[in-house]
Amino acid sequence: MRLKRAAAAGGALALLAVMGACSENKGTGGGNDTDRVQSGSIATDPKESMGPAAEVPGATKGGTFRVIRETKISHLDPQRVYSFAGLMNAPLYARFLTTFKDDGSGKVTLVGDLAETPGTDVNKDCKAWEFKIKDGVKFEDGSPITSKEIAYGIARSFDPDLTGGPTYLQEWLADSPQYDAKWDFKKNKASLPPGLTTPDAKTLKFEFAKPHCDLPFAASLPYTAPLKADKDTGVNLDNLPFSSGPYKVTKNTAGVELVLERNENWDPKTDPVRHAYPDKIVWGFGPDAEAGANRVIADNGDDQSALAWNGVPSALIAKVTSDQALKPRSVQGQTPSLWRLTINTSRVTDLSVRQALNYAIDRDGFIKVYGGEATAKAVTTLLPPSTIGYEKYEAYPAGATGDVDKAKQLLAGKTPELVLGVGDDYPEYGTQLKGNLEKAGFKVTLKSIPADAKLDEVGKKSNPWDIYLDQWAADWPSGAAVLPVLFDGRTIKAENNSNTSYVNNDDINKEFDRVLALPAADQAKEWAKLDQRVMKELAPAVPLFVEQGYYLHGSKVGGIYLSSIFGYPALTSAYVKQ
Amino acid sequence: MTRFLVRRLLTAVLTLFAVSVLSFLMFFGLPRDPVSGMCPKNCNAERLERVRTELGLRDPLVEQYANYMKGIVTGRDLGSSQGGRCEAPCLGYSYVNSEAVTDTLTRVLPVTLSIVIPAAVLWLVLGVGLGMISALRRGTLLDRLAIGFSLTGASLQLYFVGAVLLLVFTYNLRLTPVPSYTSIFDNPWKWASGLVLAWVALAFLFSAIYARLSRAQMLETLSEDFVRTARAKGLAKPTVYGRHALRAAITPVVTIAGLDVGSALGGTVITETTFGLQGLGRTAIDAVRSGDLPTIMATVLISAVFIVVANIVVDILYAAIDPRVRLR
Repeated sequence: MRLKRAAAAGGALALLAVMGACSENKGTGGGNDTDRVQSGSIATDPKESMGPAAEVPGATKGGTFRVIRETKISHLDPQRVYSFAGLMNAPLYARFLTTFKDDGSGKVTLVGDLAETPGTDVNKDCKAWEFKIKDGVKFEDGSPITSKEIAYGIARSFDPDLTGGPTYLQEWLADSPQYDAKWDFKKNKASLPPGLTTPDAKTLKFEFAKPHCDLPFAASLPYTAPLKADKDTGVNLDNLPFSSGPYKVTKNTAGVELVLERNENWDPKTDPVRHAYPDKIVWGFGPDAEAGANRVIADNGDDQSALAWNGVPSALIAKVTSDQALKPRSVQGQTPSLWRLTINTSRVTDLSVRQALNYAIDRDGFIKVYGGEATAKAVTTLLPPSTIGYEKYEAYPAGATGDVDKAKQLLAGKTPELVLGVGDDYPEYGTQLKGNLEKAGFKVTLKSIPADAKLDEVGKKSNPWDIYLDQWAADWPSGAAVLPVLFDGRTIKAENNSNTSYVNNDDINKEFDRVLALPAADQAKEWAKLDQRVMKELAPAVPLFVEQGYYLHGSKVGGIYLSSIFGYPALTSAYVKQ
Repeated sequence: MTRFLVRRLLTAVLTLFAVSVLSFLMFFGLPRDPVSGMCPKNCNAERLERVRTELGLRDPLVEQYANYMKGIVTGRDLGSSQGGRCEAPCLGYSYVNSEAVTDTLTRVLPVTLSIVIPAAVLWLVLGVGLGMISALRRGTLLDRLAIGFSLTGASLQLYFVGAVLLLVFTYNLRLTPVPSYTSIFDNPWKWASGLVLAWVALAFLFSAIYARLSRAQMLETLSEDFVRTARAKGLAKPTVYGRHALRAAITPVVTIAGLDVGSALGGTVITETTFGLQGLGRTAIDAVRSGDLPTIMATVLISAVFIVVANIVVDILYAAIDPRVRLR
């Protein structure tokens, strides 16, 4: 399994202009438009946050929609959900404070989900936020959802027993990464964390010590799902969550099957994004990627209404792409997950060497080893094309296969010795890079890193490698969720670093502060400019590619598109043709 | 017989004790921090230390082992982060599956048993049958066909045979359903049809080995004096072959079968992975991939139990099959 990491950081923005990212959702599935320009906004009119969601053309109600996946979803408890599968599954049975209206045809809008709008910045300083809760939103038992239950859900995310989920809200409210030490959920179940208040059943307020302009985005993650205190079963909620969405979990056999059936108390008029066309959604776990894809290709029986979640594996890509009959059943598109060859600048201190690496890189060659153009698309930027305000540029123009002569010219006869750390799950990546870089004069020594420890090991400041592969997928499509997280040197600590280039430049750090303090609408272009500046002045990494999603579904499935936010199949519009 | 059984059981307990100690030490020997999976992003040393203390990982090793064993016998309280009270036999709590490891095993063991036991019956009947017929019809076309069959089976790998079976019978001809597990008590037909390809794949590969082994043993036995004597006394061929020669020839087959069935029950990893069935083997592999240490330890222990029990059964069967063997 390839390493995935989802994260984001502070920042502020209001208008979106998202380039590239997703496939279309025209109701029949089979979206394969990988380069479309998208646009979007944060909704301010409460009408935009109300339902029902616009009908998907041709969609029909009823039937059982199936998802075939190799392994179980790591968590179902909304306060613990953070894997991509979990993030795409959770909206089926849980509602959040805000959510993205992503119609798959080029428009992304942040809207209120349980809230009437995506929040009000009370004092225009991003420190005090207010959310008004919609009328008519209910739990699966028919009881109303109020601000109290949403606040309780957020409060329980402070419980250290409930591991796995994101921690933005907790850290922002406690103004400390040690949020559970600042406020103990178990000892204070009757109260709320500092800064979180519910003046009445319709109002939820956040007050932060520092400005957090990204709150409307952060509130779209599943940890803002509501829960009634008397339904809180602690760690066991992970097996049977209490529903606030259009479906409820009726059966969950770990590693075998997850069954979701209609929640009759869900009111589509309150929901701007979920369609809930199928009567039942069944996740079947077990088959590996190849078996899952083969089943969907065979299109027999129940598999006609199934989606192969693990995508089209490399071994089947040639077969699938050459079979025109499968085209209407395939969904392709860019994901926000960007791979880069990280340069450890604390070890590779010579800028010309880092620039030479950027000239030498053979992106085409690497993509071929990775799985071909159906699985990856080359990029030369640090921001993925799905980021708001994205601008394409080439700081080191070297063509698709690299410019060895230019790299040699920069090295001026030197033959730098580099240690390349590579995960032991994909040693072929290391072999390809070594062969590529040695052509330009580098001497590369391969060192294997245990795959399951790689993330931790490269996150150690004193790690012994000069270059290594990294990937990053932000939790929301803002440059603020990428550049400061990966390249602000003031965040460097002994372990658990996201800034794995270990780059620390005062001028650039000040630029991060300046952009983060700008009016929200002005940030997007500034992030794009800063992207170029970081690459030109620091060259802390070699951007490689963004992952391409490539999925197949059965002949009776429609409404599948790739999420603009996470790059995985969105399930809220799926339907089974009747 | 009783003394023999008691002695074997004592040895088995000692073996399992040794395995439990080793697997427990493995928990600490693996290059993975047992608490890393429980810590959120941006976890720091202070938080990690707090989790370690909560889990009792700062207690002396002997005390931790004693608590683990006590949990197996009497159950134990694992604390709120691990689902509270864990009833005996408590094998710990899986953070990956968010449930007691015993619950996981209760769910996956029937899958493995349902794969292995019918497959073992098939491979033994087919393998031993082919071997015997081949030996009795030595040099004939039937013998050559049997040898060809066993050579083919022994040369192939399960992931290949399984993939071919799936491609032909499930995806193209649509004769068999997608492999799945249904309890035999809920729906015997669905149980059988969901597992038939796994049985066929396992039986094909294993029976090949048994056919060769049985043939060789039978040929050797047929050349022994007691067979000639029995024939000279005028006993009918079926009686000589069935009651005398077969019993003598089958002893080594039983030994191998015991070990094979024991290790297969410990987890038919490739079979379960190929056919997408969540049995003990697949669970063990998933646990290794995700660093789910309590589940790894439990699957190692369960596998050891199967091997040890299978060996005891083999020893007992020796005496039942071959009167020349006396239990002492």
